[in-house]
Amino acid sequence: MSIFTPGLVHTPVTPFTRENKIEFDTFEKLIEFHLRNGTEALAVSTHDGESVSLTDEEQRTLIEFTIRKVKGRVPVIANASDSGTAIAAARARHAESAGAAAIVATVPYYWTPPPAMLVEHLAQIGGAVKIPFFVTYAPGEVVGPKLTNDIVLKLIDRLENFAGLVDASQDWQFMISMILNAKRKRPEFQLLTGVEYMVSAGAVGATSMFSSLAGVAPGLVRRLYDICRREKYFEARKPQEEISELRQVVKGPGFAGLKGAMRAMGRDCGETRRPVMPLGAAAFEKLAAELNALAILRDEPRGWQIT
Amino acid sequence: MSLILKGVMQSTVTPLKDDFSIDLPTFEKLLDFHVRTGATAISWPHHKGESLNLTMAERKACAEVAVKVVAGRVPVSIHVSSLALEDTMELARHAQKIGADAIIAVTPYFWRPTIEAMYDYFLWLGTSIDLPLIAYNSPHHQGAAFMGDLTRRLSEKLPNFIGMKDAGFISEKFVEVARVALAMRPTFAMIAGVEFLAPSVPLGGAGSYSSAGAICPNLCLQLYDACVAGESAKARELQYKLIRLWDLFRDQYPSSLKGGMVLMGRPVGPTRPPLPTATKERQEFIAGELKDLGILDTEPHGW
Repeated sequence: MSIFTPGLVHTPVTPFTRENKIEFDTFEKLIEFHLRNGTEALAVSTHDGESVSLTDEEQRTLIEFTIRKVKGRVPVIANASDSGTAIAAARARHAESAGAAAIVATVPYYWTPPPAMLVEHLAQIGGAVKIPFFVTYAPGEVVGPKLTNDIVLKLIDRLENFAGLVDASQDWQFMISMILNAKRKRPEFQLLTGVEYMVSAGAVGATSMFSSLAGVAPGLVRRLYDICRREKYFEARKPQEEISELRQVVKGPGFAGLKGAMRAMGRDCGETRRPVMPLGAAAFEKLAAELNALAILRDEPRGWQIT
Repeated sequence: MSLILKGVMQSTVTPLKDDFSIDLPTFEKLLDFHVRTGATAISWPHHKGESLNLTMAERKACAEVAVKVVAGRVPVSIHVSSLALEDTMELARHAQKIGADAIIAVTPYFWRPTIEAMYDYFLWLGTSIDLPLIAYNSPHHQGAAFMGDLTRRLSEKLPNFIGMKDAGFISEKFVEVARVALAMRPTFAMIAGVEFLAPSVPLGGAGSYSSAGAICPNLCLQLYDACVAGESAKARELQYKLIRLWDLFRDQYPSSLKGGMVLMGRPVGPTRPPLPTATKERQEFIAGELKDLGILDTEPHGW
């Protein structure tokens, strides 16, 4: 299998109508926006896209729609994460047949299976497809079983297509130890960062970055990513601090802050689905004012930029 | 009160005799070894020095020895954290009296204090002594973490708040504290709790409190130099070597570290319960790893 390095991966939100349905017209605009603003791959139906609040059918439709609209301009990565192993594996198989370039999956929701069953869960999802398979580790988002070096190594033994780990733990102990041990077993194994903290991740070997803030400030995200890929980490400190500051503002009101920030930048994608409460008017005004006060956003695109 | 910390700093283990009493002559040799092999500062007794298993009298006596043996060659800071904060204050005042250069204190044990309680505590400590203060952030063990805002508030009030030992090792947390602290005080020292230098130096990190320095001081210095020089590929390779050592030592720290020191010709005795002492089998396993890493050939043996 040739090595697939995703690069800078934007993770779009999922727009909803007032009636709480996926707003496909807006999603098409959003895809075009990401493609025009520096993405090298799109990951769809991720946690940033409220995957956990989408039905199985909606997730399948979203993948098919994205692949149809992207028309091969960048690879499309599909998230296939669920509580039940067979459900997640079937979703992965569907995404592959729809033309996805790779699958990402995280540990099961709610359950805390023993390590052997956790390996089995991920091995069955990855084993359902031939395309590259990445595991996402986001202990801050998923209350569930911990990933360990041992589990990663066992999965490498089980799956030829297990290509890398998308880390959102940001934990230096885990990242360094994991990538060192994984590369000793599979030299082409990749560390990817699931959040925009590329300086530390890149310094210890990360090749790619997943970004939700790219919907808000794609220029800044791209700048950070490019400098890090050139391994100029001292130079990257300033954009890293700027993104960190932006991130604190966006997550201030909680998960709904991401869609609030999209709206404040002129790209209204509707509200979040239950049980994530939408931002009220006052919370939105506060967020918009805080974003307005950030000098780093002045050069960032407003609106959809459709010419 | 300006003390600027940077580089590879060593927090010394506490050598013990077979009966678990403190081995002062070996402690003196070890302090001297660290200074001679490139430590830019000495700090004692971190958890690595079994601080919580020492009596108040032992902590005071050894602190005096540390200041005397180092004799101004590099700065000496004293870790004053105790279960009871009254003891912490007593150790802090003692450190000042004996001529230590700084104190270091972790967020309080057991209680999982609120941010307000941590602010109140560090303010009390920092205003009660006339020494530079280094805060020690250990969220995985303490259940309470420093954030940017707490750091900013303490920096505003405490001119002697000069640095932080970060043992969180989480990118976002590090960036958030560093960007606030360094903007307010450019010489503020963000010190990685062990040798996580590749991920921290580009973000403004000042250096490390070394874990492996008693085993392989040369390797630690090479990593720091590569990071400061921006030699990313070299830094990464050295960081990978050092994670193998940290993976050896981190469980039941510092038991295995003390076990490894035997192999380097610098025996420092057992570890006090409830921590185990490295068995012969464990030492053999460590020896294999040290050999595989080439450390037995490239690092100083003996004192």
